[in-house]
Amino acid sequence: MSKQDFLSQFDQIAAILPLQGKARAIIHNGLDFPTIRDEYWKYTRTASITYGIFKQNNPAIESLDGYLIPALDAHLVVFVNGEYSKELSNSNLPQGIKVVALSEASASDKDAMCEHLGLHINSENQAFNTLNTSYFKDVAFVKVEDNVEVTKPIHVLSICAGDNQAVNMRNLVVLGANSKANVITQFEGEGNTDSFTNVVSEVVVGDGAKGGLYIIQNEGETTSHINSTQVSQSNSSQFSVITVTKSGKLVRNNLNYSVNGEGCESNMYGVYFTRDNQHVDNHTYVDHLQPNCNSNELYKGVMNDKSTGVFNGKIMVQREAQKTNAFQSNQNILLSDTASIFTKPELEIYADDVKCSHGCTVGQLDEEATFYLQSRGLSKDDATKLLIQAFASDVMEKVEIEALRDSLETFIHNQFAV
Amino acid sequence: MSDFLKIKGLKASIEGNQILKGIDLEINPGEVHAIMGPNGSGKSTLSSVLAGREEYVVDGGEVSFLGHDLLDLAPEERAREGLFLAFQYPVEIPGVSNINFLKAAINAKRKHQGLEDISAKDFMMMVKEKQALVELKQSLANRSVNEGFSGGEKKRNEIFQMAMLEPKLGILDETDSGLDIDALQIVANGVNKLKREDNAFIVITHYQRLLNYVVPDFVHVLYNGRIVKSGDKSLALELESKGYDWIINELEPA
Repeated sequence: MSKQDFLSQFDQIAAILPLQGKARAIIHNGLDFPTIRDEYWKYTRTASITYGIFKQNNPAIESLDGYLIPALDAHLVVFVNGEYSKELSNSNLPQGIKVVALSEASASDKDAMCEHLGLHINSENQAFNTLNTSYFKDVAFVKVEDNVEVTKPIHVLSICAGDNQAVNMRNLVVLGANSKANVITQFEGEGNTDSFTNVVSEVVVGDGAKGGLYIIQNEGETTSHINSTQVSQSNSSQFSVITVTKSGKLVRNNLNYSVNGEGCESNMYGVYFTRDNQHVDNHTYVDHLQPNCNSNELYKGVMNDKSTGVFNGKIMVQREAQKTNAFQSNQNILLSDTASIFTKPELEIYADDVKCSHGCTVGQLDEEATFYLQSRGLSKDDATKLLIQAFASDVMEKVEIEALRDSLETFIHNQFAV
Repeated sequence: MSDFLKIKGLKASIEGNQILKGIDLEINPGEVHAIMGPNGSGKSTLSSVLAGREEYVVDGGEVSFLGHDLLDLAPEERAREGLFLAFQYPVEIPGVSNINFLKAAINAKRKHQGLEDISAKDFMMMVKEKQALVELKQSLANRSVNEGFSGGEKKRNEIFQMAMLEPKLGILDETDSGLDIDALQIVANGVNKLKREDNAFIVITHYQRLLNYVVPDFVHVLYNGRIVKSGDKSLALELESKGYDWIINELEPA
């Protein structure tokens, strides 16, 4: 299958914004999809996607049973195959917050959206980003006005429904100065054999704003998922991205931070649990451009069966970014002899007064700890679960939304059986 | 024949080296047995084999515990039947709360006995009572298992867990090592308070000093994988003053 054949599968999608036409020109002409010859994609082969035969359907979803996070009180917006579903959404928004779909947006909302849409993510030479920009059918737009604190999380639930679907899901989050908000992007699948979800999220964090983006990946076992998130931070802002990969055949996450302001805090946390032949790849890049900023990164993985994990974290400290504190760690547990992890922490520092550290570990479950728990009466199975829960706990405690944390704990607990 | 604990001709090895070369030992309820011996004699191997460590291979002999073939049970089944090993080197388990883990352990045991899960109220009352018994700070009980505990706190936590799980047979594997005299007394008091007519303890120690506080009914000397001498508590005192050499010399005349 040629690139043109692959792209022709998206051709019937109408361009709704001018930037889509531009992106289409780029992807139809010079820009190719990455291969393992590209350093940035060395361990992740995307041919199963770019040679895939996909459809563009928009089936109706009857109910959200099984998708909703128990006890989560949130402003809910639902997208099915990249299109807003008014019937399934349920957001009663207080003053100062907007959660709208492009398809429903007023002219002024559209203007607000276009102030940022596509201006932060790299759609020039990252083909999957360009693909998303070319063919998204709708946009989930979250806008929090200056000085507004959103107490309930904003929950963008994206469901990929049907077999062989290709979905380009687009999110834009704009946090005004000194505002505060948490956004959950949750990806679920319904009967979606061999589907592909391609997500781009742009997050703009204003001066002094505080917030978090949760990425919860739980699509079907044969679905591939590529997720690119670009966070742009202004002065004295704090932002965390927490990525939890629960399922998926091939999952690739690209998380980039541009720390454009002074005195910022940027946090990147992630956990991935893989089994069977799953492949989960987390690439992160934090670009420290200004002085007096902190970044913290902790990714933890538990890999079983023949699954593969990839971690590549890069911290870039530019010459201007004096007094940067940047910490990065990737820790992995391999539960089987046939699971693998490729991990590469990277630091690139051009400033001379900084404090940076990075490291990674790969190990097995502590047999002594397992025996200790067994010797107190816990079964080996329960001991394993408890130890894996414990391993993930320092990432889990970063999840500030209690109902979400509980549901993730339950997932971890149910995930591992010896 | 006792149906409490009976060890007959027990042989065990690790990585091809035979450490236990035929242990015979019988323990009845209400008894405290001290097992002493020089380094490398097989003391910790014996406790490990009884608790069910996988690295040790049993080459021969049998162990019956309350009517069960102990060696046939998984470590957790042994624990649920009432065996408890206080570790020489308790493991630090970051992220696992002491309290939650103990609750899981107690409920695993109760389930095995056909009982319902312990109520939150009963559990908390029990925690409070047993903490006092071993003078364990409340903050420690709520922390991750042994994480950042001092040596003495770890050993105290072992006794606290033992108190919570109320075993039939408690094995203390060199619980006294690395303890100062105050901690030693607290640990020993804990054991003394847990002693009943229907349970028993094996106290494994290199030194006699713990036995000043936990008075044994029987003292056994383990040497080169065998029990070479048994006696009452006076044997421990004799070992303290004369060392182990006189026993070894008796066995292996020059």
